[in-house]
Amino acid sequence: MKNDLNFRPSRRTLLRSAGAGFGHLALSGLLGQAASQGASRLDTPKPLLPKSPHFAPRAKKIIFLFMEGAISGIDTFEYKPEVQQNHGKSGPGGGILTASRFQFKQYGQSGAWFSELLPNIAQHADDLCFVRGLHTDTPAHPQAVVQLHTGSANAALTRPSMGAWLLYGLGTENQDLPGYVTINPPPNFGGAVNYGSAFLPAHFQGTRISDQGYLPNLKASAKAELQRKQLDLIQSMNRDYAQKPGAPDPVDGIIESFELGFRMQDKVPDLLDISKEPQHVLDAYGVKPGPEGSFARQCLMARRLSEAGVRFVEICQGGWDHHFNLHNGLIDRSRLVDQSTSALLTDLKQRGLLEDTLVIFGSEFGRLPMAQGEDGRDHNITGYSMFLTGAGVKKGFSYGATDELGVKAVEGRMHTNDFHATLLALMGLEHKRLTYRYAGRDFRLTDVAGEVHSGIFA
Amino acid sequence: MVSFKSKRLYAIWIGCLIAASPVSTAFAQQTQNAADLEFFEKKVRPVLVNRCYACHSAETKPAGGLRVDDRNGLLTGGNGGPAIIPGDPDGGLLIQRILHEDPKLKMPKEGAPFTSEELADLRKWIADGVAWPSEKVPAAPAHLEPMYEKLRARHWSLQPRRDAKPPSVQNTAWVNSEIDHFILAKLEEKKLTPVKDADRLTLIRRVTFDLTGLPPTPEEIRAFTEDKSKDAYARLVDRLLSSPRYGERWGRHWLDVARYAESTGPSRNVPYPHAWKYRDYVLDSINRDVPFHQFIQEQVAGDLLKVSEVERDRALIATGFLALGPKDVNQRFKERFLMDNVDEQVDTVTRSVLGLTVSCARCHDHKFDPIPAKDYYSIAGIFTSTDQLSGVVNKMGGSGLEYYRPELLVHLGKGLPPVDAEQVKRLKADVAAAQKAWNEIRGTARGLALAADGKPTQRPYRLKLEKLQAEYLKLTDPAEYGLAAHGLKEGRIADTSLRVRGEAERLGPVVARGFLTAFKVADVPEINPQQSGRLEFAQWLTSPNNPLTARVIVNRIWHHLFGQGIVRTVDNFGANGDRPSHPELLDYLANTFVQEGWSQKKLIRRIVLSHAYQLGSDEPQEYREIDPSNRLVWRHSPRRLEAEEIRDAMLAASGQLNLQPIEGSPAQKFKMIEMPDNGPESRTIHQKANENQHRSIYLPLLRGVIPQSLEAFDPVTQTLVTGQRETTTVPTQALYLLNSTFVRNQSLEFAGKLLSASATEKNAERIQRAYELTLGRKPTPLETDRAQTFLADFEKLYPALAAAQQAGEKSVKGQTLKDRVDQADQTDAERNAQVVLDEQIHPQDAQHAAWMNFVQALYASAEFRFVR
Repeated sequence: MKNDLNFRPSRRTLLRSAGAGFGHLALSGLLGQAASQGASRLDTPKPLLPKSPHFAPRAKKIIFLFMEGAISGIDTFEYKPEVQQNHGKSGPGGGILTASRFQFKQYGQSGAWFSELLPNIAQHADDLCFVRGLHTDTPAHPQAVVQLHTGSANAALTRPSMGAWLLYGLGTENQDLPGYVTINPPPNFGGAVNYGSAFLPAHFQGTRISDQGYLPNLKASAKAELQRKQLDLIQSMNRDYAQKPGAPDPVDGIIESFELGFRMQDKVPDLLDISKEPQHVLDAYGVKPGPEGSFARQCLMARRLSEAGVRFVEICQGGWDHHFNLHNGLIDRSRLVDQSTSALLTDLKQRGLLEDTLVIFGSEFGRLPMAQGEDGRDHNITGYSMFLTGAGVKKGFSYGATDELGVKAVEGRMHTNDFHATLLALMGLEHKRLTYRYAGRDFRLTDVAGEVHSGIFA
Repeated sequence: MVSFKSKRLYAIWIGCLIAASPVSTAFAQQTQNAADLEFFEKKVRPVLVNRCYACHSAETKPAGGLRVDDRNGLLTGGNGGPAIIPGDPDGGLLIQRILHEDPKLKMPKEGAPFTSEELADLRKWIADGVAWPSEKVPAAPAHLEPMYEKLRARHWSLQPRRDAKPPSVQNTAWVNSEIDHFILAKLEEKKLTPVKDADRLTLIRRVTFDLTGLPPTPEEIRAFTEDKSKDAYARLVDRLLSSPRYGERWGRHWLDVARYAESTGPSRNVPYPHAWKYRDYVLDSINRDVPFHQFIQEQVAGDLLKVSEVERDRALIATGFLALGPKDVNQRFKERFLMDNVDEQVDTVTRSVLGLTVSCARCHDHKFDPIPAKDYYSIAGIFTSTDQLSGVVNKMGGSGLEYYRPELLVHLGKGLPPVDAEQVKRLKADVAAAQKAWNEIRGTARGLALAADGKPTQRPYRLKLEKLQAEYLKLTDPAEYGLAAHGLKEGRIADTSLRVRGEAERLGPVVARGFLTAFKVADVPEINPQQSGRLEFAQWLTSPNNPLTARVIVNRIWHHLFGQGIVRTVDNFGANGDRPSHPELLDYLANTFVQEGWSQKKLIRRIVLSHAYQLGSDEPQEYREIDPSNRLVWRHSPRRLEAEEIRDAMLAASGQLNLQPIEGSPAQKFKMIEMPDNGPESRTIHQKANENQHRSIYLPLLRGVIPQSLEAFDPVTQTLVTGQRETTTVPTQALYLLNSTFVRNQSLEFAGKLLSASATEKNAERIQRAYELTLGRKPTPLETDRAQTFLADFEKLYPALAAAQQAGEKSVKGQTLKDRVDQADQTDAERNAQVVLDEQIHPQDAQHAAWMNFVQALYASAEFRFVR
């Protein structure tokens, strides 16, 4: 996957292969730049067409359920009896240990513990693979969110997001759709950086849509028949132009891009229009209008997009940053995600989509077992957990652990770079080989670190 | 061990490992003995870890600004002063706060008090000199130094420029400049003949776009194509170079390189409300053709240059170059904030001016170029001795104005009007009290509970704080008087330490301030020890003897005129960069550039008057096989217009373009408060950008808030030095051209103008005018026929279909964005909602609809977005 400085496609091959594909008709990127620029290089004329991974992949698609703000593990799915028993005592590094006020019990054959906050997700216990030894570098949301998404929190050198790396490495299955969609991403904490392509070519960046399915300029400005008339005129002008001696190379790509754009106007809104789902499906997810139904709508859209072949879908529920108001805040947030997440998992499973789709549920870091103020918990970057399910990972399995109090990862320690290396490995990519040369250096999602934790592989 | 060549450096290294830190001079690393270190590890570190880390460490936070997991952090201390004074246990705040009687101030805040044994251990450790294990600088790999030697001696870009003479050529009739000798000689070597020249119409469109970023008007085209005099082209070039439009295009090129933007960017986006002054400085300098070496000197050290009183503000504004970078204001640790910003400055200045990736040497000796880490820190010391007056400080989890410091701005003019000192003092105390009250209630259960008016109880607290802050700033803030800019000033002058693995806290040996050792520059003064060294650094950068600077800028200019540089990696002239296709030409251009007073205009004129620039774009197949990317310049490669040119050309064609420069920016009244990308500020920016009919250079450019009318066509990533833009072809561009409010609006305006110009005008004449205004040429008879047919068909189809379309719209209204009333009130879905700006454009009748769709097709055509 190295971008080769000496790559020179012949023009004829390129023009012959200037076929379909969303967002990747980078013919100028190939002829103008591939030939002219050391920094920006692609090793295929069609960068978003599916590419061979480095080795047989365990998963082909990812859906990431991002719990922005840092969900408190100790109150949800990280049961720590030592904390419950030592309530009120001094904790490590200072602070008072505070037991969770929520009741925990075990579920399924695997006996995974869940609190009463997530009773529906708990039903999937035997399908889940917990990763309990995570740790990261910065206990501040802006940097940690950016690091989770791009591998690095260096503000001065923005890195490509993990979805962009996946598209760069693997392309995508459905050439009429974006390969990387992020729904409702946070408006701050790096904003567009979290789904950007940074120095990778722009066609690898995530497409941002709202939880109402809004994508700028997607709505046709006229009825199809009228617009087709206009498009025919544009295309005949373009074809004339392409015939002129010395015409710019990307004109064929431009012609194709208009046809694709025109088709997308039909296909994408259709795909994002969840109102067409049967009532029982809408009910299962808990879809309703307004903010209350936001995450449910995102879950359902994620299923539809992933099913249609989108390589990487991220959805987001924020508001987990409970420095205050932990108790009621957790009840409120959990209510928003429990039913819809569970419905998504059931739906994916019933449709057989978990065979090739990996689902990730987690935050930028965790929260401490010690109290903060009257009713809160502060950030914890030294040990926290997520759960995964679906393609490539063990089921009913728990990997790694924090200490007895849930403060520090002690077993199966997995840094954000390790987590990324492991995800790439699940997708069939060797993280050290997925490189891109920029500013005189080969960059990776995992920077100069990263270790694959194959212990979670099925 | 790193082998430092200078004995002086070595001595410093041995002598005082932490000498650069402001508080550690009393401490000599080598006095530590094993017993003290063992005592620290056994008795002291565990206490700090167990009792303090929850609130005062890298993995948590620096409560009160203090961290205890770093010796320097303890010595510097937090907001209250040093936590530890070596040798004086009770002199520092650490022991004082442990023993404090006020329970609010006593440490630890939560948990059991320190035992007397723990306290005694801490006291002993402090009394014994605060032992702390020292940092070892990892040894450089053995192969590096020989590799560096070789590169210093041989790598092409590090060698002095040669006195390149134009080579002789066979076809002397073809050449009309010295540049042509270099080009043709190479072509003849490969047995290639340049293709035929561009016709005059193509040439005027090309040179007008290249020099001004705008299309020529139909009148200008006519005048030029009909002007048969010998110097017609030269006069055209001179007219373009003297037009203010030139600076608006070539200023933009520099702003790309300067990663110009009007906000801090990730991770908390705080506006830079005065950034536009730097933008105007750049435009003005380019238009005035300020010599490039002076232009760089002003930007790096404008505050240190001897300038007249009238020029002072201008020179200060120039230093905005290095103050407007992306900043992580949410960074917890001041030292990291400082070193990250220093790195951003080192990276920007070295890549933009030298085309070297010096920043790679922040963490280790450069792997490819002869830039050891100590060179990096010798330059870093210049910037640690400089204060960035960006107006912001770092703070974790700040809100409101907590990131803002008016005193950290450049103050222009002759100072603020006198104020009542008593009143200022009183207001300052009131602000502090209101801030404290707000911090206490903010986000608590009581604060969030609804008051009688149905709004959160905390709301009046915030409003009171904001009101007092506004009153205080009204009196003290230069921004209130329009007298603020972002820039640089001299800071605390000192050399800085090498940082082990680039980590801000891990201090290695102190490195004397200086320049790169990769090449020698004769006749540059030594750094004045009383100053930061920026002045001498600027002189070193812009010395005629610097092998890189002139080469890099002339290559940038060549890149903009030919579509690719002589060195294609325009921002990287290092070992991993490209090799020049015409090394002698590059040196010839650089030499000429320097000899002619570093004038960009003269160089551009010289290049566009060359025969090579005036070639046509024909492409014989066999040439393609030999030199597929046209590196040898046997033709002129077509160029996709940049985002700004596409927008400006649409406005120009529709007659809507306002050529007046814009005073200021829509962001200039913004407070320096974090702005989410869907908040009211972002919405203002998007709205102002959409209404704007001035040239694109005057659009607001806040990081992460890209105007929709630029977004589709690869605008610059404003966080990185960008000498070469991407040119992708993606369906979102098609969707933008077909459906966007901006394009539809311009099309309708354009159609209206065509139709209203003369009622008696024939359609064929209107079609011709539309072609001339968009594509700069007349339509062929076939094209006219096709347009006529389209117009007739469309007009016939329109009434029925349009009615159906507009009826359908009512049911699919986009969601609206609610105003932020109070952040604490918001649900997430609203918080994350996107700013929606789509607006349907409806022509008044079928005829307008047909013409609108016709001109929109011209805008959307491939021909419109290319110059050949």
